[in-house]
Amino acid sequence: MDLNEAQKRIRWVTLTVLVVLALLITILDRTGNLDTAFNVIRNPMSAVMGWTSVRTTALAGVIEGPRDLETARDEISSLRQQIDTLERENEELREIEGEYQLLLDLFNRARQAPEFQRLTASVIGLDSNQSIRSIVIDKGAADGVRVGMPVESARGLVGQVFRTTQNSSQIVLISDSSSAVPARLGGSRATGILRGGGVGGSLTIDWIDLKHQIDVGEVVLTSGLGGRFPQDLVIGRVIEVDRREAELFQRAVVQSAADFDSLEVVFVITDFDPVDIEIFSQIE
Amino acid sequence: MIPPSTYLALPIMVILTIIQTAILPHFPIFGVVPSLPFLVALSWALLRGANEGAIWGFIAGFFMDLFTAAPAGGLALTYMAAVFSVAMINEVLPANRLVIPMILAAAATILQWILYAIYLGLFGYNVFQMISTSLLPLVVLQTILILPIYWLFYVIQRILWPRPVEI
Repeated sequence: MDLNEAQKRIRWVTLTVLVVLALLITILDRTGNLDTAFNVIRNPMSAVMGWTSVRTTALAGVIEGPRDLETARDEISSLRQQIDTLERENEELREIEGEYQLLLDLFNRARQAPEFQRLTASVIGLDSNQSIRSIVIDKGAADGVRVGMPVESARGLVGQVFRTTQNSSQIVLISDSSSAVPARLGGSRATGILRGGGVGGSLTIDWIDLKHQIDVGEVVLTSGLGGRFPQDLVIGRVIEVDRREAELFQRAVVQSAADFDSLEVVFVITDFDPVDIEIFSQIE
Repeated sequence: MIPPSTYLALPIMVILTIIQTAILPHFPIFGVVPSLPFLVALSWALLRGANEGAIWGFIAGFFMDLFTAAPAGGLALTYMAAVFSVAMINEVLPANRLVIPMILAAAATILQWILYAIYLGLFGYNVFQMISTSLLPLVVLQTILILPIYWLFYVIQRILWPRPVEI
């Protein structure tokens, strides 16, 4: 066997070994047998990610700022012109600030007297894969976060804890294409499963019975069916209804209350225990 | 036998995964974020051959798999397959350090995405909408970014493994 042939053989053996290894990782991960081993690697990396993420925000500000003196002078000139306009707007903003303070007080009151305990967490990373919608937060198993716990922002439901390490957790957003949340419409009381549309897609509730008259603007809440989410968490509002009398069901497109692209702080609902109802479907 | 460059790939990919997950999402270009670990693995494959490229692709994908909610192993598998395939093609193409890396970066990006979409499809994920909206800008971006990365690793490779000279 000459050297060239030996090299070719090594190449194909390497490829085969790596393919088998990748498939093995997939199988072991799907059966939950790799969590402990992976967390040994994830824990220190998450710690560095948290440290890095805080500094990245500052760095982003520097990069987006004036890049040279000439640009800075132009900006000063432009900003002076804007001062007059801004002073006028300032008065209007004072009024808005009052309203904001009122809403903030309402929100804080809701948090002070909640049905659920919430743990505040900062978003320290996004999914490494652009086609999956998930975030990484800086609270993990050591803080009491467990797989399955619901996660919300100040405006509405965000997702559910998918996996945890000691110091971080990965949250699958409700906008991910794999997400399914039992939902109820506030006005019509119609129920259905809210599905994520993935990146660039919309949240939708399919298979809603035609007997329900759904209006655009209706609030969408969690129904609590299935036991994976508590009842009455705000998800968003209906922005479009696809209703055809010739069909048996209708479909609603939902605008989420939370802005998934600018999440910085989220709340993990820590005292809600997801109920496993699979057992009932296994009874023969 | 494990190539010595594997030990170089491990720390590089750990660092790149942290950058990819914690820093790059803050700076999207054309609305997309390039995959640095993938481009580095691809550059290494074009410089050092399909065998080492497959290992680098696997390691890059493995660390990226740790921070995705999708099933683990998918990025390792598809990074490796895409990098290995284009490195094989590279062997029959004329030597060129400008145009060929760019063409192969575009081909590898498309191949990796298609393979990954199929992989995720097997687990019930629907990412085809993502492909239709983001693949083109990503291909353009990665086609451009391959050049500085390729040249950086060309220099690193020359330092670590100098070309033998006969006297």
